[in-house]
Amino acid sequence: MEKKNNKKVIIKVSNLSKSFNNNIVLKNINFQLLEGESLAIIGASGSGKSVLLKNIIGILQPDKGSIIINDKEMVNLPRSLKEKLLLDLGITFQHGALFDSLKNWENIIFKTANKDKTNNRQGKQLAFSIIKQLGLQPEILDLYPSEISGGMQKRVAIARAICGNPKILLFDEPTSGLDPVTGSLIDQLIKKAVRTVGGSAITITHDMASVCRIADKVILIDKQTISWTGTPKEMFVSSNTKIQEFIKPINSEIFFK
Amino acid sequence: MIDLFLDILGTTGKKFINFVVNIGHFFIFFGNAIYWVFKPPWYFKKIFQQILDIGYFSLPVVGLTTFFSGMVLALQTYNGFTDFNSESTVARIVLTSITRELGPVLTGLMVAGRIGAKMAAEIATMRVTEQIDALGTLGTRPMQYLIAPKIIASLVCIPLLVLIGNTIGILGGYVIAIYKIGFNASLYLNATMEYLQLIDIIQGTVKAGVFGLIISMVSCYFGYNASKGAEGVGFATTSSVVVSSVMILTSTYIITALFFG
Repeated sequence: MEKKNNKKVIIKVSNLSKSFNNNIVLKNINFQLLEGESLAIIGASGSGKSVLLKNIIGILQPDKGSIIINDKEMVNLPRSLKEKLLLDLGITFQHGALFDSLKNWENIIFKTANKDKTNNRQGKQLAFSIIKQLGLQPEILDLYPSEISGGMQKRVAIARAICGNPKILLFDEPTSGLDPVTGSLIDQLIKKAVRTVGGSAITITHDMASVCRIADKVILIDKQTISWTGTPKEMFVSSNTKIQEFIKPINSEIFFK
Repeated sequence: MIDLFLDILGTTGKKFINFVVNIGHFFIFFGNAIYWVFKPPWYFKKIFQQILDIGYFSLPVVGLTTFFSGMVLALQTYNGFTDFNSESTVARIVLTSITRELGPVLTGLMVAGRIGAKMAAEIATMRVTEQIDALGTLGTRPMQYLIAPKIIASLVCIPLLVLIGNTIGILGGYVIAIYKIGFNASLYLNATMEYLQLIDIIQGTVKAGVFGLIISMVSCYFGYNASKGAEGVGFATTSSVVVSSVMILTSTYIITALFFG
């Protein structure tokens, strides 16, 4: 397995480009996610962050470039092998993407139930042990996603992503639409998932407070390409005008004291 | 003038190419779906849910439609043939029309409206809210989990619905023949049994199977390929009902021609 600074390279994206009907969204994207690293991807709305994530998980096919996950090239990988690889990933989508026809607990254990054939009682117990960490009440387990608030849905989606302790976590705007307290709770959980399980995470977010709390490394996507890379602390001394625009609304003192 | 002509030609050509591409996509989807119908594991819980939805919950609408169609058919036939003193042919005409044509077609159209629209809307909503994408990332193949159970359930339920619909339709004709027209009940029943032919039942069942395949495939195809949010869901729903209905009416002619042509 490829290593960098004695750490395994979990995801390596090289020269990735993607366009839709001649509209270039991403151009020559290069970055690596190392083992135990939490990477935040920031950028303006419509800058292609979610498109990048969808390329990584194989929902979209890049026009060119390579995506290597755990030493396996994802682009053009046969579907069965791609699906196997995806089982090691915990993914949340921007709008939750919970299954309407299933109860919340069934949503949470969906992947585990398919893999391990858990019965209802075991499944509910597993779901309960996860939602406890997310500040959700056990009553929501037997409800359908449409019967709980948007913020709760977001947390159920996160519960589904972390169920089974996957080593690679990919979150698309996990704290958007959440109150600051719950947002902070989610951030702690992402951090915990990375630290305790020895996992790695990519988080797409606009929430700079969240970036400061969870990220080891930050990538800024601007004008179809990665225009800045650094640590959260480096953001505050960066001369990059786009980075300055992003950090202007927040007071760095709060997060680094 | 030439520009306008070229514009019209270009637009027509583009639409034609799109149409051909869509037909190609449909057949690829069709082949893929059939493959997943036969590929284990089968999601029996999902299949059972679909059987309940397509079969059991469609019974009232199919029953009502075929019952009244049988009644209308008996009444119209009697009114039409009474001048020729041919009242006895009512039983035969009701039986043949219901088993060969009206039973399967009316059931197919009713199920296309009720279930086809529901299938398309459900899958299209899942598509535009990224639920289908999420399924793929959770170790589940959408074609196997979502589409195959619907096709299997349609193939099981629609022939059964047609058989039940045929019986109810014939019963509708019987009710009118006996209680309104005043035929002798045992004579009418004997005439019905006498003219009942296996080939008619087989033909009706074959049609029902084909309609089941058409409804589930077309509805799932439009739902699965939906885009553009709520508008896309609406388009998928409408298209599935319109295309299924047209295909049902076209295929019923082809099957009839194959059997009796």
